[in-house]
Formats: sequence, structure tokens, C-alpha cells
Amino acid sequence: MAHRRFNTKARVLAALAVAGGLALAGCSGATTGSGDLDGTQLLTIPREDKATFSANFNPFSPNSMPMTQQAIYEPMFVFNPTDGTTTPWLATDWASSEDGMGVTFTLRDSVQWSDGDPMTAEDVVFSFELQKELLGGFEYLENVTADGAKVVFTYNTAFSPGLFEIGQQIIIPKHIWADIADPANETNSEPVGTGPYTEVTNFQTQSYSLLRNPHYWQPDKQKIEGILMLAFAGNDPANLATTNGETDWADQFIPNVQNAFVAKDSEHRGYWFPSVDAMINLQLNTTKAPFDDVAVRKAISMAIDREEVTSVAMQGYTHPADCTGLSDAYGTWRSADVVASCDWTTLDVKGANALLDDAGYPQGADGTRTLPDGSPFAFDISVGSASSDWLSVANIISQNLAEIGVTATVNSPDWSAVVAGYEDGSFDSGIVWSNNAPTPYQYYRGVMSTATVLPVGEQAFQNYHRFGLPAADDLLAQFAASGDDAEQVTVMNELQAVYAENAPLVPLFPGPRWGVYNTTRFTGFPSEDNPYAPLSTRSTTAVLVLTTLEPVVSK
Amino acid sequence: MRFVLRRLGFYLVAFWVSVTLNFLLPRVMPGDPISRMMSQSQGRMTPEQVVQMQALFGLDNRPILQQYIGYWHSLFTGEMGVSISRFPTPVSEVIASQIGWTILLGSTALLIAVVIGNLLGILAAWRRGGVLDSALPPILVFIGSFPYFWLAMGALDVFGVVLGWFPLRHAFSAGATPSLSPEFIGDVAMHLVLPAMTIVVVSVGGWMLAMRNTMITTTSEDYIVMAEAKGLKANRIMFRYAARNATLPAVTNFGMAIGFVVGGALLTEVVFAYPGVGFQLLSAVTALDYPLMQGIFLTITGAVLVANFIVDMVYVRLDPRVRAS
Repeated sequence: MAHRRFNTKARVLAALAVAGGLALAGCSGATTGSGDLDGTQLLTIPREDKATFSANFNPFSPNSMPMTQQAIYEPMFVFNPTDGTTTPWLATDWASSEDGMGVTFTLRDSVQWSDGDPMTAEDVVFSFELQKELLGGFEYLENVTADGAKVVFTYNTAFSPGLFEIGQQIIIPKHIWADIADPANETNSEPVGTGPYTEVTNFQTQSYSLLRNPHYWQPDKQKIEGILMLAFAGNDPANLATTNGETDWADQFIPNVQNAFVAKDSEHRGYWFPSVDAMINLQLNTTKAPFDDVAVRKAISMAIDREEVTSVAMQGYTHPADCTGLSDAYGTWRSADVVASCDWTTLDVKGANALLDDAGYPQGADGTRTLPDGSPFAFDISVGSASSDWLSVANIISQNLAEIGVTATVNSPDWSAVVAGYEDGSFDSGIVWSNNAPTPYQYYRGVMSTATVLPVGEQAFQNYHRFGLPAADDLLAQFAASGDDAEQVTVMNELQAVYAENAPLVPLFPGPRWGVYNTTRFTGFPSEDNPYAPLSTRSTTAVLVLTTLEPVVSK
Repeated sequence: MRFVLRRLGFYLVAFWVSVTLNFLLPRVMPGDPISRMMSQSQGRMTPEQVVQMQALFGLDNRPILQQYIGYWHSLFTGEMGVSISRFPTPVSEVIASQIGWTILLGSTALLIAVVIGNLLGILAAWRRGGVLDSALPPILVFIGSFPYFWLAMGALDVFGVVLGWFPLRHAFSAGATPSLSPEFIGDVAMHLVLPAMTIVVVSVGGWMLAMRNTMITTTSEDYIVMAEAKGLKANRIMFRYAARNATLPAVTNFGMAIGFVVGGALLTEVVFAYPGVGFQLLSAVTALDYPLMQGIFLTITGAVLVANFIVDMVYVRLDPRVRAS
């Protein structure tokens, strides 16, 4: 017995020695990933939110692998929020009908799927059928019909913003998907698409490659060999790889990006954070007093030091919002007149105090205010504990509000508890995102349309603050019904004026879209001087970048 | 035999309790999986998509008792459902793709820590007051009390980034295809060094101290004095008389540690981007992915109970007193 035990230990030791030997042997063979610049290097992109990959290239799945909707499948057109342009992609042309009741797309001919079959109008029709069957949506679509190389979309109600939703829908091949019995549960591990990089190669739980589509419709734009995706469990390890120069393109958040990333090789490295993401707001639950009072909402807004919020909490990567509530993606829509006419998004503590005094919220001897019924003017700001930047935002707001005698307590449980409170309308206030789409229609609809207001207790996914104005409804309906650009601009100006007058919520700053690049191995990334797409790897615009980049070849 | 049956009965009850807790705890958490995705996307998901996803996932809205019965049914059929956060990948597939790496990393680190820790403990106790005994425990305890995250990041920076001796991430080089070739095994071993060593460094102190303390008690027993008086060789007394008896608590600890290997090493996986169950569990919890959470908890529960049962049985063999009582 004693012998056997000792022998086991000896065996374990021997095994360890072997393992150690292997480790040392491997030592000499370890190389860093960069390799030679012979033009066949792969564009390396990290994903910090996928600790491991599972082979799911189903474009209808919310958890499909990165680049499914960017490099494998393509939409009919690509909308770029940074300059507001639309690039024809699988369609060459489109025309909305005069009455706003439909749109007709003309498809590009000679587009082939990656298995060599031609793409037809039938594929487009089928894509919308499947999208509606699996995920719903597109309620305004009456029917979709193929007519030669044209696809005709007919609406059951005038809805001009539908153009962008339809144009950006991913198109899938009918000859593959029609034969799949259960498309919702299909993992589609060998995807067939029209995109530039469709060939999934060497799929591992921690990395995979996408190589060239042999039948791509713009072969002259497939200048890079392919894409290599790397999996990371969080920002820190992904940032290490990025700052270490092992990735070419990344869009996870890097704190202090100038010093941590760019300064190490400023000749090749750069970042660009255009503020085109959703507007970030302080949402005040208007079903609760005193937030139903527009004077209170404006006074709170005037007391907030947005410069401090953006420069300290957001590290200077964005800028204060104005009283149209529109992010930089809507620069062309923004009405200068409205911006000039209102002052409730400008820091003015005196004005805020005066506004609250007049509205009947008296300041007591100790400096704190009370509501007309005598209870203290105090509420919670709910933010998920995981969002450290937004927590700082809430803390700054809390300090700002103390100066006008309002007690705002930052309440930061887990996001799930916070969002549950938003959804059933039991929250006081919170730092909340908003709708983000090619036109401001969805933003305004989500913050002040009565159609999006649900009673407290019912689960809402937008308009958490439950504010609606019939006047806004009318304007939104006019906007949706209009197929005329000039008329749309006029209606949108009026919507901005309604927003500025009623302050449905307190806009803080437009969300920045992160993105960094390293031109050591590839050139041609977008930047502030060449804004042909944002530097995001996750938006549909990524295909514009993939078809522009060129590999660096060392001589 | 009666002892074995009694233990088995106890484990069945423990299994039922923990499986029921696995079922209940996730459902007590506030929110639902789709709202979680919404808050994580922070505005990149439209309200329409939320409604779409509810339709797609077909979330379980049956009464809780029916869900509980269905849950037991799925336990016995091994059909653990489809993960929500990785929809439509089945839970069993998600776990299967990670568990191998988890076990490799966990058991390598555990074995090294146990062997080194126990050997050091034996030697330290044998030469009480010597250099080993007075210098090593405080140093190891000191290192062991470092925040693991900091230590691992430091090791990664020094040995990976600055010196470039070891790879920075993953279980093998990106682009390599798994095979049984010497190159690939070497590659895996190379990638294993930093993650495993950081775990060993922080855990070895505990093993050493535990062993040293029981060893000191054993060495003052009469039968050791007797063995010395008989003039046996010091080595023989140290290992076969003292260490063998002192090793009993270590076996218990080892058994429990084996069970927890399956749970993964969360922070190691995060720092070294090592594939594994630990991070999967964390993301399942934050995403409220009930099926995946249940699947992983169940795997861990099962492994801990089985490991404990085996330790109980081994104990019967090692320690006659247990049999007698």
C-alpha cells in the first residue's frame, strides 16, 4: 500500500517534468502573431464581448458571430451616419412612391452568391418573408413582389422612414434557406452570402477566419486576404492585444486612448470617436410628481453642468447636447433656429433656481426645496452598476442638483434591476439611451409620441419616462406620410420646436461610437478627414471599410 | 456497505437540494434575458427588435411548477435546452466546447499546487524552524493574499509583453488547428504556463500551511518517536510514518478542489482570454441565460458531489477509524 502511494506521487512528478519539458520546448517555437507582410496577412479584429465563439452564422440570430451581417451578408444599401450618405449596394437605385405608400428597388445584376448562384429579386422577397416570419416587424409592409430585376414594396400605411429599414435589411439566398426546416434554430455554420468575405475557415472557440468570397461582385475591392476574429473575455485583455499592436482594427472602449494606444506609435495609430450613437438622456418619470411639470424638467436640465459631464465622466470623447436632443448623426436635420431659441440645455443655476421658485417649489432655510404638498424634493437616479462612466455622469448630476436644493441620490444596483424599473415605470429617473435610426423620426417617436406611452406596470421597451403629446403625434404622422424631402424638413423643424418647448426628457450628450486603427499592416481606414464610414466593426458600414482597406506589403 | 449506502442516500438528498436551488435562484433575479440584451446594447437595439426576440426565443411562460417538472425531465434526458445568450446553440454544446480547456487548466494547476505545496509542507514541518519553515510560509501567504487579478495582469505584462517568453492569450495560437502533433501539444503547453502558474503561486501557500500544520501534530506522536528510537532512516519516517498520516486532511481538501475545477477559473480566463466555463457562467448570469446557467450549475454540482463521494470512499480505505464508526 505504502509503495503504491509513493509510486503514484513519483508518477505525477514524472508527468510534471514532461509537461515542463514540453513547455520549455515550446518556448523556442513561440512567435508573435504579426508574421511577414507579404499581402496575405489577415485583418485582425478583437471582440471583447464574446469570451468564446460558437459557430452560429444565422443572420436572424441576435447572437450570430461577428461579421455575419458585415462581411457575409449584405443589404441593398449602406447608410453612413457620420456624413449622412447612402451608398447603393445590392440595389443600384430606388424610388419612393409619391404618396409615401411604397418603394421600388432596382437590383444590381451580376451579383452572385458565394456558391456561384445568381442573386435575384426572388431572394429579396424571400428575405423579407423569412424576416417577418422569424422576427416579425415591418408591420407597414403590405406585400413584397418581384418584377424582373425590380422589387416592389407596398405599404398598408404611408411610412417614409420604412425606406431605411427596408434598404438596410440583410438579404439571404432563397435556394439555401427555403430548404431549412427550422430557420430560427439553424446555426448556418457554412454560410452562403453575397459579401466580400464569406468563407469561414479554421473555426475555433477562440478565433476564426473569414476568407474571400470567390464569386464577389466587386472582385477589385477584395484587396485584403481575409479577416481574423479573436475572442476576449472583457475589455482589459482585448485592450492589451490592441495596445500591443496585435490587432489592426478594434472598437472596444479604450480608456485614455491617446496615451494608452496612440502615443505608442503615433505614426500608424489613430482613433476617431464621432458622436453618432444614440442620445444619452436623463429620463424623468413623468407619471410621478413633480416630473410632470415642464418647469421642473427644464430647471433640472439647466442645473446640469454638461461640460463637466462630458469632459470628466465621458473623458472628453463627446460634447453637450442641445435642446433639439439630436445626436451628430442628424446634423443635416438640426434646426439652427430652434437651437438659438431655447436655453434650457445651457448651464444656468440662477435661472434654474428662479424657475423652480416661480413654479412653486420653495427653498427652505436649509437650502433644500420642497414640493407644493410639503414633501422634500428628492428622487433617485438609477444606473446599472456595471457602467462606470454613466455612474460618474449620475454622480456629477447629483452634485449639480444639490446646488438648486434638489436631492438626487444615485442608486446603482445591477442593470437587470435598473431596467426592470424602467420597463414597468416604477423608477424615478435614470441615465438612459434612446432610439437611433437613420432619421430622427424614431428618436422623437420614442420620447414624445402617445403611441409609445404604456401605462405604469406594463412592460415598455421605449419611452420609459412615459411622455406623450398629441401635437407630436400629428407631426410624426405627417413626417411618415410625406415622400417629399422639403416637406419632411419643415415637419422635422416643427418637431424640434415641440421638443424644445416641452422638454420631454433631459438630453445629456450624444453617444460616441468607438473605433481605433493601426496602419502598420493595413491602410485606408476611415477618419475624421475621410469619414466614409464610422470606425465601428459592428455596424453595417463595416463592409465599406472591408472593401476599402489595402494590405501593406513590405519590399 | 451500510456506510456506503448511507452516504449515497445523503448525496441524493444533497443533489435534490442543490438542483432545486439551481432552478429557483435564477428565477428570483429581477428582469428577463431580453431586457438584459437591451440594456447591454445601450441603444443599439430597437424596441421593435425586443418584441422580435421574444417571439424568436419563445420564452418559457408556463407556471413555475410545470417548469420545475420539465426541468427534472430535461435533467434525466440530458436535454438541457438552447442557450439564450448564444441562441440557437444548445447548452450541452456550449459547455462541451469549453469544459476540456477548463479541466486541463484547472487540473494542471491543482496537481502542481498540491504536489509542491504538500512536499514543501512536509519538508518545512520536518525541519521545523529551518530556513524553509521560517521564510517560505510568510512569503507564500503574502503572495497568496495579492489580488489575483493584479498578480495575473502583472505576470502577463512581465513575462508576456516585456520579456515575450509566453503567449499573451488563448489556449493555443490563433490559426493553429487542434491535433495530436508534438507542435500543437507544445503550443498548448506554452499557452498553459502563465495561467496555470499564476493559479499555483496564489494557491500553493494554502496547501503548504495545511500540510505543515497537520505534519507538526503527527511528528509529535509517540509512534514517530518509536520509529526514531528504532533507528529508521529519516526519509522513511518522514514520508511513510508522518506524512502518510498527515495526508488525510489534504485528501479531503483535494477532493473538494477537484470538484470545483469544473467551475472554471473565472479571473484566469478573463486575464488570459483562456476559454473556459468560468467566464461562460458569469456571462450567463449577467445575461440571465437560464438554460445555460442551469446547465453549468448542474455540471458543477454534479462534479462536486461525485468528487466528494469518491473522497468519502477513499477515506474508508485510508482511515480504518471511519469504517469502524
